[in-house]
Amino acid sequence: MSILHYNGGCVVAMKGKNCVAVATDLRFGVQGQTIATDFERVFELGPHLYIGLPGLATDTQTVYQRLQFRIKMYEMREGRKLKPQTLMAMVQNLLYERRFGPYFVEPVIAGLNATTKEPYICALDLIGCATEPADFVVSGTCSESLYGMCETTWREDMEPDDLFECISQSLVNAFDRDALSGWGAVVHVIEHDKVTTRYLKCRQD
Amino acid sequence: MSLAVMGGADYMRDPRKHHFHPYADNGGTSVAIAGDDFVMIASDTRLTRGFNILSRDQGKVLGLTPKTMMASSGCWADVLTLKKVLNARLTMYSHEHHDVMSTTAVAQLLSTMLYWRRFFPYYVSNILAGIDEEGKGVVYHYDPVGHMEKLAFSATGASVAQIQPLLDNQIGALNMKDATPPTITKELARQLIHDAFVSAAERDINTGDGILIHTITKDGRTDEKVKLRRD
Amino acid sequence: MEGMDEITDKKDNTSNPFQLYMPLLPKSECQVGEFLVDENGRKLRLNFAHGTTTLGFKFKGGVIMAVDSRATSGQYIGSQNVKKIIEINPYLLGTMAGGAADCTYWERVLARECRLYELRNRERISVAAASKLLANMVYQYKGYGLSMGVMISGWDKKGPGLYYVDSDGNRMAGNVFSVGSGSINAYGVMDTGYSWDLTDTQARELGRKAIYHATHRDAYSGGIVRVYQITKEGWTKISEEDSKNLHYQYEEEKKKKKPTTTSS
Repeated sequence: MSILHYNGGCVVAMKGKNCVAVATDLRFGVQGQTIATDFERVFELGPHLYIGLPGLATDTQTVYQRLQFRIKMYEMREGRKLKPQTLMAMVQNLLYERRFGPYFVEPVIAGLNATTKEPYICALDLIGCATEPADFVVSGTCSESLYGMCETTWREDMEPDDLFECISQSLVNAFDRDALSGWGAVVHVIEHDKVTTRYLKCRQD
Repeated sequence: MSLAVMGGADYMRDPRKHHFHPYADNGGTSVAIAGDDFVMIASDTRLTRGFNILSRDQGKVLGLTPKTMMASSGCWADVLTLKKVLNARLTMYSHEHHDVMSTTAVAQLLSTMLYWRRFFPYYVSNILAGIDEEGKGVVYHYDPVGHMEKLAFSATGASVAQIQPLLDNQIGALNMKDATPPTITKELARQLIHDAFVSAAERDINTGDGILIHTITKDGRTDEKVKLRRD
Repeated sequence: MEGMDEITDKKDNTSNPFQLYMPLLPKSECQVGEFLVDENGRKLRLNFAHGTTTLGFKFKGGVIMAVDSRATSGQYIGSQNVKKIIEINPYLLGTMAGGAADCTYWERVLARECRLYELRNRERISVAAASKLLANMVYQYKGYGLSMGVMISGWDKKGPGLYYVDSDGNRMAGNVFSVGSGSINAYGVMDTGYSWDLTDTQARELGRKAIYHATHRDAYSGGIVRVYQITKEGWTKISEEDSKNLHYQYEEEKKKKKPTTTSS
């Protein structure tokens, strides 16, 4: 088993019409043993900016803390909020610094551009290679199942409510076929004027 | 290798153990959905070996009896052997009993035959689809060594992880609040199989080129071919 | 014709279940594990159903057998609805942990042997004898990589019987057993709640609860919690409940109890 699968967990993000959604499961385990079911791996980094860090839990926390530090430094120095694209570059830099001893996380970024309100999603591998597709990104232990679900359920220009339904069904049904993720889910739907966070009722096995 | 370049003969190299690799993964995905009075079984038509495509037109569903079909994928050499032995057995049975074997009997026979090779397994993922004694559609899913499970729908092969959750959701109505599983019509089954394969072909290099969809009812069988992306 | 021997010579397991194919290679090369790599060195997925929680215990009202229903191959959940209690005959049950095919195949052979015993001896086989038949069958294949940990339970002349049998050749009688990746969790619940004098309802609930807690904590267990009971009339199916519903049911009960459970 890869070290990326040691603690379990998955993240998915989707674009909608003037909105984006990002969702994750809540399991923190050590291989087969479930330790906690309230482990959130999606973090708010700005008013319309979220990052999901599935992978090795220790690196989830370290990368999140180091990112917070860099973002605060950036915002102090520049006197402005950072754009999703800037965050992506920052994460790339952070991860590639450890090219030969990487952090075992494969981040997903979802947000709205603070000025243009343009939806943005991207996914990176553990050494910082980014993709910025027009539809959805997935990461974590059940990425194959997530691809299958998202590929069939995703449509262009979904309204926030439809987007919520789509991302929830995709995530929950995907992780129900994966032993290492599940045990609850949280979904953030990001619109230009508000962020709606919902916890889903899921199987607990 | 480097010694040979420097002039050392082949036998001068350090002793090296060569392993026997009897298996190959030739990809392929199959899906089957049972209805009240029919069963639909489909597979993609791509055969791969690593990053190479060996064939774009190799269906993986084999007709066993007029009422039973089997989809198998995995190691193609094993698929062919299994098909040969199974067909021979079914022929012998029909000669002995002057009747074709029932779907339930074929299902158990397949399980036993797979277990026969427990210590050198056929590397195959199987689904058996057919019409049972009551005229209902049935689907059986197998693991390579013959564990068998009767189901209403199932996917197997390379893209199982992509397709199975979709079927759970759309046919099993899992995680749909207050929803009852839909009645499976031929149109719904066909549509789902089509969508599932299109999605799988989008993300899995071992699935693509085309789909062969077979529908079995008590009156007979119809086959249909649908195109998939070829890249 | 080459390759047709298995049909014409009747040298296969359809005529004799003990006649399995043996590869024509030295045993050191025959371990299935050796083959589980393709020509490119990629791992091939083979064995199905490894994670499991099963439990069985004797008490004054007979035997309780409880199991989950999940089958995994690696981290992928192959099935959430496996029948891990195998009904050998109306008086005998077998559970399933380890390789799913190994358990179903050999317990099917066991069912055949038990029926033959009945026909030969005009009486039912004892649990001790049935479990020993199975233990002897799998012992023949020791070292070949069979993987099974099963419990055989039933009711015979001596009353309730419960045996643990595994593919290493172990066979033992006992009052409480749990087998599988979730057994540690199930034992935890069993040890806090078990006593010989449980009532039927208490015993069934204990079995159900132990399996539920195992499905909750063990990633490789889950699905449906099935409970069976064996009495002198033979086995009866007590319940089959989705672990999801059980979780929220127990959650409700916990909430109701909360104000009163301040001291113990």
